[in-house]
Formats: sequence, structure tokens, C-alpha cells
Amino acid sequence: MKRGIVLLLIVLLVSMVAFGQGSKDKASAADAVLKVGVIYISPPGDMGYSYMHDQGTIAMEQHFGDKVEVIRMEDIPENESSERVMENLIDAGCKIIFANSYNYQQYMQNVAKRHPNVYFEHCSGYLDNPNMSNYFGRMYQMRYLSGMIAARMSASGKIGYVGAYNTPEVVRGINAFTLGVRAINPKATVTVVWTNTWFDPSLERQGAIALLDQGCDVIAQHQDTTEPAKAAVERGKYAIGYNADFGKIVGDERVLVSPMWNWGNYMIPTIQSVLDGTWKSQSYWGGLEDEMIHLSPISPLVPADMVKAVEAKQQEMHDKKWDVFWGEIRDNTGAVRQKSGEKMSDEAMLTIDWFVEGVIGSVY
Amino acid sequence: MEDRNTDGTPVVRMIDITKTFPGVVANDRVSLTLHKGEVLALLGENGAGKSTLMNMLIGLYQPDSGSIFINGVHRQIHSPQDSMALGIGMIHQEFMLVGNMSVAENIVLGMKDLPFVPPMGEIKKKITALSKRYGLQVYPDKIIHDLSVGEQQRVEILKLLYRGADILILDEPTAVLTPGESRDLNEILKRMLSEGKSAIFITHKMDEVMSFSHTVQVLRRGKSVAVKPTGDIANVQELANMMVGRDVLFSLDRGPYEPGLAMVEVKDLVMLPIGGGKPILDNVSFSVRSGEIFGIAGVAGNGQQQLTEAITGLLHVDGGSIHLGGKNMTNKSPLAIIKGGVSHIPADRGRMGVVGDMSVGENLSMKKYRTAELSHNAVMKKSRIRRFAEDLIERFTIKTPSQDTSVKFLSGGNIQKTILAREIDFCRGILIAVYPSRGLDVGATEAVRQNLIKQRDQGSAVLLVSEELEELLMVADRIAVMFEGRIMDILDANKTTTEELGMLMAGVAREGR
Amino acid sequence: MRTHLQKRDNRSMRMTILVPIISLLVSFLLGALVLLLSKANPLVTYQAMLKGAFGSQTKIQYTIAKAVPLLLCGLAVGVAFRLKFWNIGAEGQYIAGVIGITWVMQFWTFLPVWLLLPIGMVVGVACGALWAAIPGFLKAQWSVDETLTTLMMNYIIIGYAEYLYINAWKAPRGNMGTILYPEAAWLPRIWGRVHAGVYFALALVVVLYFILYKTRWGFELNMIGKNRRAAQCQGVCIKRNIVLGMLLSGAIAGLAGAIDSAAVTHQLTKGVNSGYGFTGIIIAWMSALNPFVSILVALIMAALETGSDALQIMKLPSAMGEVMQGLILIPLLAGSVFIDYRLVSRASHTEATP
Ligand SMILES: Nc1ncnc2c1ncn2[C@@H]1O[C@H](COP(=O)(O)OP(=O)(O)OP(=O)(O)O)[C@@H](O)[C@H]1O
Ligand SMILES: [Mg+2]
Repeated sequence: MKRGIVLLLIVLLVSMVAFGQGSKDKASAADAVLKVGVIYISPPGDMGYSYMHDQGTIAMEQHFGDKVEVIRMEDIPENESSERVMENLIDAGCKIIFANSYNYQQYMQNVAKRHPNVYFEHCSGYLDNPNMSNYFGRMYQMRYLSGMIAARMSASGKIGYVGAYNTPEVVRGINAFTLGVRAINPKATVTVVWTNTWFDPSLERQGAIALLDQGCDVIAQHQDTTEPAKAAVERGKYAIGYNADFGKIVGDERVLVSPMWNWGNYMIPTIQSVLDGTWKSQSYWGGLEDEMIHLSPISPLVPADMVKAVEAKQQEMHDKKWDVFWGEIRDNTGAVRQKSGEKMSDEAMLTIDWFVEGVIGSVY
Repeated sequence: MEDRNTDGTPVVRMIDITKTFPGVVANDRVSLTLHKGEVLALLGENGAGKSTLMNMLIGLYQPDSGSIFINGVHRQIHSPQDSMALGIGMIHQEFMLVGNMSVAENIVLGMKDLPFVPPMGEIKKKITALSKRYGLQVYPDKIIHDLSVGEQQRVEILKLLYRGADILILDEPTAVLTPGESRDLNEILKRMLSEGKSAIFITHKMDEVMSFSHTVQVLRRGKSVAVKPTGDIANVQELANMMVGRDVLFSLDRGPYEPGLAMVEVKDLVMLPIGGGKPILDNVSFSVRSGEIFGIAGVAGNGQQQLTEAITGLLHVDGGSIHLGGKNMTNKSPLAIIKGGVSHIPADRGRMGVVGDMSVGENLSMKKYRTAELSHNAVMKKSRIRRFAEDLIERFTIKTPSQDTSVKFLSGGNIQKTILAREIDFCRGILIAVYPSRGLDVGATEAVRQNLIKQRDQGSAVLLVSEELEELLMVADRIAVMFEGRIMDILDANKTTTEELGMLMAGVAREGR
Repeated sequence: MRTHLQKRDNRSMRMTILVPIISLLVSFLLGALVLLLSKANPLVTYQAMLKGAFGSQTKIQYTIAKAVPLLLCGLAVGVAFRLKFWNIGAEGQYIAGVIGITWVMQFWTFLPVWLLLPIGMVVGVACGALWAAIPGFLKAQWSVDETLTTLMMNYIIIGYAEYLYINAWKAPRGNMGTILYPEAAWLPRIWGRVHAGVYFALALVVVLYFILYKTRWGFELNMIGKNRRAAQCQGVCIKRNIVLGMLLSGAIAGLAGAIDSAAVTHQLTKGVNSGYGFTGIIIAWMSALNPFVSILVALIMAALETGSDALQIMKLPSAMGEVMQGLILIPLLAGSVFIDYRLVSRASHTEATP
């Protein structure tokens, strides 16, 4: 027994040393490649938000092949630990760092100030620095379209929306969705429940069930898992997905449509600009025109005329003839927030903290 | 004991066993032989090494050197499971039952070949059968908490029988038993011996040795100093002599009885059990004056312990009053009562008297640490405390490797001495002693009694609770007898007899009153 | 051959020191095995982890800064554990501290700025103490089980903190959280990322050591923890001391929260339930409730966290960090068994007739 332990120890030590020898040689080989750090809020296995980001990262990796090396940091909390993680990425040789969740922004800005020679890319916020950009997509456009579909398919006119946090991003999405709903059915309402988490399968499901219990027959969501959609279709009701094509993942036609991201379309040109030495700080808000956002295939349950109407609206937005937050908008207390003929500025959209008419619920 | 059923084959042979602990040689080349059907009484002063020797036989400790033969086969015994497999079982000085489990569960707890889900129905049947056979009345479903000490003892014995032990080790089994319970135990032992079982019996009660055992072996300071057939011993005095190595006084000098002011005055004290039922204390009234020892006699469990805990503030009373030193102290906090000058030697030394995981020195200072002598404001004077503890260890001859040794490593008797030293040193007029000589050797018992008398002679009021009538008659000035929460009578110690006390203890009131 | 555990006759000093060291070695070997199975080189990985935690000045600074709240939470839990009061609510008491200081920093604007920090810290400490005193009181008065109450109270205050930073106190802009404290009221840095909280933590170690080992009250707490009934017989008031002990325990956890938010986060924000309070339980346990040993253990725990970034950088799966932390902890905790027990093999000893 004792001899066995000793033997095991020796084997372990020898193999450790042998391994060590081998990989040291490998380490020094590649310096010409661009090292890219990517920070995710959750493991990409969530099949939601981080998953879609990772799809973008993979597309970028495939596009550049040997020219880039990606270091992924998953499941990083949105507190000061994220600063340390960024510092570690920089130590590991990263020249550009992406971070995909809202609350990283302050920490990223802090690190950016300390490392002027590294580029920083923050997704979904608005802070910047000469070496830090923020980027996002006009997902609200897709939310509007999915709202139209939801309104058409809802028999009761009561639609539920499972929201993560009351950040401007989520509030904007709910507003756009509701405007889409109201465009088809001016009497329909959208009821919001907050889960106060991006990623928590059971809480997300609970939220959806609460809405279904109140009589909602379509459930939309701004969450990272498929649980709200699953809860809806399990009860024979409809769902609107998000992030990825939930219809395919859940395997049910009652998932009517999913607004989706295509982050690769941002990451590829950005990395290219670093390689070319033309990177510039910006606040990037991509829309339909550069295909950062799109709709999944629409479920066959949705009538053809409705699909046509959606496609027409999409074309209008693509051609910049019309956008979601144009014209008179009232908030859900009935007060006029924007007069007819006005267009909401990006700044106002990025900081929005009130709900439009038709939303049942409150931001705070 | 006459009905000896031995055919002379040795079942246990321990040869030249040595065991040392840091700072002490607990056993020094001790040899011991137990024959089939024999009861061997193992005697010795507190800390002589009796429990240690037995703990090696059941595998709790390992000898440093020496060998053990069981039924003629050389054995290494590593654990109680090992010894159980060899048919050896032990009842420890401190019981090892799990309080919140049932009798049946305790009996099978830790057994090796138990299936994952024990067949409790069968187990209970077997327990009931065994208890009938030996006349040990227990209820398998009762929870250990709710049992008296005597009943717990029966559970311990059943545990051994259930597991088929042929060699029984009883470490001071009668120390906590009432005289009646001791007699029952004697009967049970006899029945077991008649079935060819053998026993090693540790006790400090000399009369038990004379009536229970076939052979006597005496340990002194870790060495075996004598092995003798019980029949060859003339009297108790000789036995005590063998143990201590000097003459033991069985009568004590004391000053004249000159009682002063009433220090403890208890009036119409009533304590009711939680949830209703017969009162635990039923209109108890008495007073203890300075310069007297007031004894309380009674079979354990008749309210004596609750009475002392009420006086020391540990239990709440429902009626009546307690005055200490003239001040009303009814339902005051234990601290207020301690500050009033009351010392308390509690009944349950392991659970109430000491903190086992703290050192001897710390335990000795647990009453006085509040005083200016041992602390300055909130800060303890560490070096002063060390000197204080050193002094007490010497004055009360506490046997310990050092004052830094954890109290739990001391022998039972020395733990009791630690408590005694602390309480007597602190005593400021009132001393409440509950079974103070339980588990003490004859020498130490003598010392305790002397100390109680010394307190009395110095003018303290001493309340002594004891089950041993000889002790009360020898030490006390007045004796109250308690039965079912009531005081049956209060007698002058010089004018009463064991017989009269015995009647009262059984609840038979004195005639002609 | 069979082996089994046997109780040691005596607790030896040598074992108390040797066992943790050996456990640590076993931990690393276990970790090495797992790493080998995931085709990573253990030596290189450990080296990277070590470098990740201590490889440069900034890394040392990050590790020390992380160790400060961990140490304080370990001390907090240790005080309660000394009383055998199973306070697993240090997490909640920490958050109470953060809420307390944030309240002052946000709303006591009538105060001169230089007063915000000291008053904020005092209020944070008070909030932590109060949050801990509630289960203490429930236990003392009605013997309500403290493991349950302290645990439940964590969830209550986590929910409340969430309500504050998402709704009631949410800043109009910036991260999901309250507005940042005025910069003049931040706890100053003393060496890179290392802030003045280190002084507080180290001073507290000394003070606590003094209280626990040198004062009457410490003596009483020790008695209560080791034998409640005996302590009562010696006139120690159990109820009062449980409440007092919990006040102290909670105050220290609250201090941890106040310091960390005054020095590092400067706001009440998402991520406030960082798990420091739970790690504090492990720290208290592993350091055998000794404040000085806690310093070392807190540093190890901090290094395990800061160092495990290296695993992902080496392209190991993200769960590996937690696996490694667990692997390193389990033998350490299990190892404590061997301080009191030893392993013996049995067959080699049974011999034949005399
Ligand atoms: N685990 C231990 N560690 C250190 N010392 C010990 C330990 N166990 C026993 N001792 C010491 O060994 C000696 C013998 O103790 P033991 O318990 O065998 O005495 P005993 O004869 O049973 O006494 P008593 O009649 O008081 O029970 C004592 O001095 C005691 O302090
Ligand atoms: Mg003993």
C-alpha cells in the first residue's frame, strides 16, 4: 500500500516533468499572431446570449485562421474581479479585449485608462475611452417585428414579457416590442415581469409561468435561456425567442420567431482594423444594414400575409425610410413623451427609463 | 461471592503492559489474568491507571509494550469493533450513549454486520427477550434522554449482551447508581457469571468489592501492587490500605457543633415540571446555618439535584423563596448567586463541572477569573493565574502532567478534585456539594469529607447531597430526607440511624408525629 | 489488507502542523491527476496559477486586495464559531455593511465629505452587527436554530440589495448600481491595488487575538463554545454572550463590506453577493479559529481565486477553476481528521498463539 503510493507519486512527478519539457518549446513559437481576449458573462453552453457571442467569435476565428489566437474567459462576475481578469489577459499578450455584458463597462474603462496600448471593445454599454469602443446592435428593430407577429397570434390580446434587468437595453426592447404589438392590435397589452438575472433557468421559467397564469398567451423574453419559451409551448401557448433560433432548439412551431444576433459581423471588421492599424474608438450601433441583427425563419403557423407585412416593415427600416421610435409616443401613464414628427435620438434611446403606452409594469 | 463458576482457564491475559502519556506513565509493566467465570475487582486510587489498562483491552488505546492474549491467542486489538469480535465489551465510566436516539438504536449503533436499513422489529424482539432473561427492564422505544442513570446503565449492559460479549468490563458502574440499583446490578452479574461469562469490575466502593468479587487486584501509580483472592482479605480497612499504601481514616475529627446565622433559607419552594404533572419540588422548606453541614439524603431522582440547581440559580422556581446570606435570591441569575459567595460542586461533573477541552489551569480559574486577584478589569492576569492554578494543584493533590493538560485527559477522580479545589477555594460562606465523593477513591473521599468539615469549622454553611448514608452520618450535623420532591423529615445526625433514614427514603413517614 | 481509522491517544503538536502540509501536498497531487486527465501539464499549470496570483507586483496587489474581505469574513465567522454558533450568514452581514455605507455616502450629503468615510464605515459596521444580532437574539431567546436563520437572512438581504441597486437607489447612468461614492470619500490606496483596508484587517487580527485569548470575555466565549452548561454553572450568561458574540461577528462582516465598497467598488452594485461570507466559513474552519492563522488561509484562498484565471488563459475549460479550488480544499478539510485519528492496517498485526 505504502509502496503503491510512493510509486504513484514518482510516476506523477516524472510525467509532470516530462510534460513540462515538451510544452516549453511550444510556448515560444508564435508571437506574430494577434491575441484576442473575450470575456463572457456566462458559459457559452447557456445556448443564449454568450452562446451567440461565441458563435461570432468562432466565425471571426475561422475568418482569420492562424492570424489570431483567442483566449476565452467565461463565467466572469460583473464586479471588480473582471478588472483583474482583463489585466491577466493583457499579461497573456492580448492586444484587444471584448467583453459582452453591460456591467463590465466601468471596470473596462478603468483598465483601458491604465493600458493605452490595448484596445477594448465593450458590448451593450455606452462608456468609452480613446482606446475603448462600445458596440451594440439595433435589436429593437427586430423586437418591433416580433411584436407584430405576437399581436397577430394572440387571441386574448394579453402578451407577457420576461425581462432580466431594467437596463435601458431591456426597456428599449420592451418598448419596441410593444409598439410592434400595438401597430397590429391597438388594444393589446404587454405585461412585464422582472427576474433580476440574465441567466437563471428556474427563475426565468417561474417568470413565464406567472405570466401564463395571468392569461397571457404569447411569451416574449429578454433572457439567456430557452426556459420561458419552453414554459409557454408546454402549455400550448406561443413564444417569441431571443438570441438564437429557439424554434429549432426547442423544436416546436409554437415558437413563432426569434430576434437574433450576428456578432461576427462586428468582430471581423474590428479585428481587421486592428491588423491594418486603423482601429478607432467609436460608439457603434449596427442595424439591419450591416446584418448584426436578423430574424430567425418565421414559424409556418404565422399566416402568409403577416409574414409579408413583417418583411415590408423590415425593408422600410433597412432603407431608413422609417424607424421604430419615430412619431408621437406616449408613456404608459398616458403622458406624451415625444411629439409627432419627432425622431428619438440615439442618446435618448440609450438611456431610456420609461415604458410606452400598452406596457403593464414599471421600470423601477 | 461464593457461587464461583470457574474452571481455571484464563480468558484474558495481559502481560507486562506499559502505556505512557505525555508526562505520565499510566501503566508500568502491569500484568493481569482473568479466568473463566471469575469476577476480578480492579482497584486503585484515582489516576492509578485502571481505566487506561481496560481501554487497551478493548482497543481504544494501544499499549506501548506488552502483549495481550484472549482465550490463549495473542491479539492486537485496534478498535472496539475488534474487541467486540473477540467477545469483550466495556461499560465506560462516562456513558457513551447517544442522547437523542432510542434505546434500540443505541444498542445496535456501530455494529458491524448491520444491514443498511436495520430490521428494527426483529432487533426490538431480541432486546425484549434478552431483557426478560436477565431481569433488565428496558423499553426499546424510549429515548435515552428520558432515562434515569440506572436505566441508562441497563441499556449499556444490554448493549454488551446483545452483541454477545463474554468478557465484561465494568468501569465504576455503581458510582452513579442508587443502593437499590447496585443490588440489581449484582443480581444481573451473578446470572451472567452462571452462564460462564467473566467480568472485570472497577470500583471505589469497598463493600462492593467484598461482596461482588472473587479476586482483587490493586494498581498503585500505574504499577500492579497486589493480587489476592477476596476471601483472604480480612476487612475493608485492609483493602483501603492496599490501595493507598497507608491507613485510611474512616472516622473524622471535627470541631464542636456551634451553628450561627441561617445562611441558606428555603421557604415553601415549589417547582413544577414543564407540561404539568407531579411537582418536582413540593413546598420544600429548610435552612442551613453557618458552621453546620446540612445533609440531604434520598434516592437519586427525588428532587435533590433540582433543589440545588434552584438555589444556585440554574433552574427557575414556581413558588416560594430562597434567601442566601439574608438576601432574597429567588430566581436570581447564577452570576448574582456566585457573587453572593456561593460555591457549587454539581452533580454531573463532565457536563456541568468542567470544560473538558480546556486546561486544568483554566478550569481551576473559572470561578475566580472575575475577581481582582486574577484579572485586571477585563484583562486576565495570565501569570498570576498560572501561579494560582499551580498552588491549587498542589494543595488538593490533583494528579496531572501539567496545568496545561486538557481536563478531559485526567482520571475521573482527578477531574472531581479539580472541581473541588476550585469551589472550596472560592467558597465565601455557602458551599453546595452534590454527590461530591462520587467516583473518588477512598483516600480522595476522605480528603473531600475532611474539606467539607473544614469549611464547616471555619464557619461556612455546607449543603451536602449524598446517597451514601454512612457519609451523611459521618459528616453531617443535620440530615433532611427527600422523597418525591418533599422533605420527609429533618433529623439530628447524632440521633438517627441508617435504618430510620432508609425508611424515610422509601417514603415511609416516621411514626408518632 | 484492510486499513481503518484509529483515534489517537493524544492530540500532538507535530500532527497539527504536519497534517495541513501533507494535505496540501495531496491536494496538489490530486489536482495534478485531474489536469493530466484533461491533457494539461500540471507543473506548468501550477506554475501559471502561482504566477497568476503572485507573478508580478500588480498580481500580488490583486491577491492581497482580495484577501482583505476574505480575512475579515473569516474572522467574523471565527468569532461566532468559537461560541459554537453556526453563523453562516456572514455573506448577508457583509452585504448589510455595504448597504449601510452606501446609504451614508449617497444621502448624508449634508456632511462634509471627509466625514462620509468614517461615518459610513461606522454605519456599515452597525448594520452588519444588527443583521447578525437578529438570529443571535432568536437563538438566545427562543433557541431558534441559527443555521437556518442566518442562511435565510442571507437571501433576504441579497434580495433587498438587489431591489436597492436595480430600483430604489439606481444611478441614472453607469453600471447597474448606485451612484459612485464621492471620490474624496474613498478609502485610499496604499500600494497599487492594495488599499488601507489592509491596516484595518491586520489591526483587527491583533485586537481579536487579544480579546479572544487575553480577556475575561474571550475566556467566557471559549467556555460557552466548549461546554455551554458548565459555563452557565460558572455564572456566564449564555444568552447575553450569544447576542454579544453575534454583534461582534456581524460587526466584523459589516466592516468587511464597508471596507471593500469604500476601497474597491465605490458603490452598491451587482456582484455584491460575491461569496466572501461563505468563503469566510472555510477560512475560519481551516485556521482552527486562530486569527493569526486566518491571515495565511485567507491569502491562500485569495490566491486560489486570482490564480485560477490562469487556467482559462491556458485554454482549460472554465469549470476547471472551480474543480481545482474544490480539489485543493477537500483534502485540507478531510486532513483535519488525521490530527485526531491515525490510519492503521490490520492484517499485518494479527499473530498466532503464544
Ligand atoms: N488520553 C490521555 N492523555 C493524557 N493523559 C492521560 C490520558 N488518559 C489518561 N491519562 C492519565 O493517565 C493516568 C491514569 O488515568 P486513568 O484514567 O487510567 O485512571 P483511573 O485509575 O481510571 O482513575 P479513576 O479512578 O479516577 O477513574 C492519569 O494520570 C491520567 O491523567
Ligand atoms: Mg477511571
